[in-house]
Amino acid sequence: MKRTALYDEHVKLRARLIPFGGFDMPVQYQSILQEHEAVRKAAGLFDLSHMGQFILEGDGVAEWADALTVNAVPTMKPMQARYNIFTNARGGAHDDVIFYRLADRWMLVVNAGNADKMWKHLNDNAGGSGVKLTSLHGQNALIAIQGPRSAAMLQPHTDADLNALKYYFCSEGSVYGKKAVIARTGYTGEDGFELFVDGADAPEIWAKLLGDNAGNGLIAAGLGARDVLRLEAGMPLYGHELTEEITPLQAGLAWVIKMSKPEFLGKAALEEQQTRDDYPRIVGIVMDGRAPAREGYHVFLGEKRVGEIRSGSIGPSVGNKSIGTALVEKEAATPGTDVVVHIRGTAYGAKVVELPFYKRSYKIGAA
Amino acid sequence: MAQPDGLLYSKEHEWVKIDGETATVGITGYAQDSLGDIVYVELPKAGKEVAQFAAVGVVESVKAVSDLFTPIGGEVTEINTGLENDPALVNREPFEGGWLFKVKLSGDAQTSGLMSAADYENFTKES
Repeated sequence: MKRTALYDEHVKLRARLIPFGGFDMPVQYQSILQEHEAVRKAAGLFDLSHMGQFILEGDGVAEWADALTVNAVPTMKPMQARYNIFTNARGGAHDDVIFYRLADRWMLVVNAGNADKMWKHLNDNAGGSGVKLTSLHGQNALIAIQGPRSAAMLQPHTDADLNALKYYFCSEGSVYGKKAVIARTGYTGEDGFELFVDGADAPEIWAKLLGDNAGNGLIAAGLGARDVLRLEAGMPLYGHELTEEITPLQAGLAWVIKMSKPEFLGKAALEEQQTRDDYPRIVGIVMDGRAPAREGYHVFLGEKRVGEIRSGSIGPSVGNKSIGTALVEKEAATPGTDVVVHIRGTAYGAKVVELPFYKRSYKIGAA
Repeated sequence: MAQPDGLLYSKEHEWVKIDGETATVGITGYAQDSLGDIVYVELPKAGKEVAQFAAVGVVESVKAVSDLFTPIGGEVTEINTGLENDPALVNREPFEGGWLFKVKLSGDAQTSGLMSAADYENFTKES
């Protein structure tokens, strides 16, 4: 199992480590629920160095990437970040990613579990494009500070003007004097920053951020808290709400798909799916009781099985209700529909709801 | 976490406290710590006859579902209804307020296969 640049820091903090995406990663330090609460109320610090970081260079990057993904790449401004999805020919999701357009190059962040697959996909498609690909996977680190107090915690230690940094934009500068790309992006539903730094600098930045902000409520947070946070915020997790079989359309991500683009891999399949409009789709589920909905549990509309749970957790930010996502037939997908979830042979009532479960109550960055 | 004396412990990390004909069952401090934040417990219904070491319910943390085995056989007489709204009580007080259910011991109730506090302490260090 590989280790990130922050492995020793996790051991010092007595993290519980699990294999994830080829790395030993912290699933929790003290308590998933405490870490979740810190991110909602103050801030949490995450090691996301397991995620794939690729550098794309060349004049034709934007047009090349545009043909492989559903969202628009060429319209991105310098220093802008944009969520996007690489599709297969059937319209299924090969990976969901974030593009960062830097001054002289592009950065692409892919899911840890898809890093090898994506590296191959990019290289298979790069021939003749003039696009130069470099993988920083496992060398560069990624530290995320996420939560309503994250800007106040980070600002004293960076030369980037965080007040001027808009949501889904980034800045090239330094953190604690170390070179960094500072991006106002995240996966928690809160304000926050993702810091792309050299692996050699990561332990010092990590330890200093935690030390300098211990009195402000910053704690290290693991992948367990991250999963609860993203589920409450209605954000898809690859392998659950998006797969090679589940298209972005089915995942409720029509806003990401630019059908006006002349062509992209999987466009014809997505257009056909959209026209037929008869596909199973991802919905939010709220259980009547507290029994957790878990991935794979069957969902019924009356006596008819209409789908299955794809993610589930209790939602501390939504009154500790048992929440989840399900992939269900269209007939069961209307918000307000009463469905039944089978758990260990017993039928439990649940309701279909719109996503997200949780919305932050403040604006991000200066107006 | 220290294991209280006077209780008996199972290899599945449950404890049982026998008081005359009644036995109280819970999971150990070691078990709750391993599981992490407990968000749901499913317990046997009162009146149910349970056999020693049978699976009688589940304990769920944020991330995982774990089977609950009863360390003692008999008839379930009472379950801890307080856990319905506050399952984290099992984390906070695994040996006290976080007890799970009570059993009326059958005449031939067995305590064989259970450990003393000291033996369980050693068992958790080995596992």
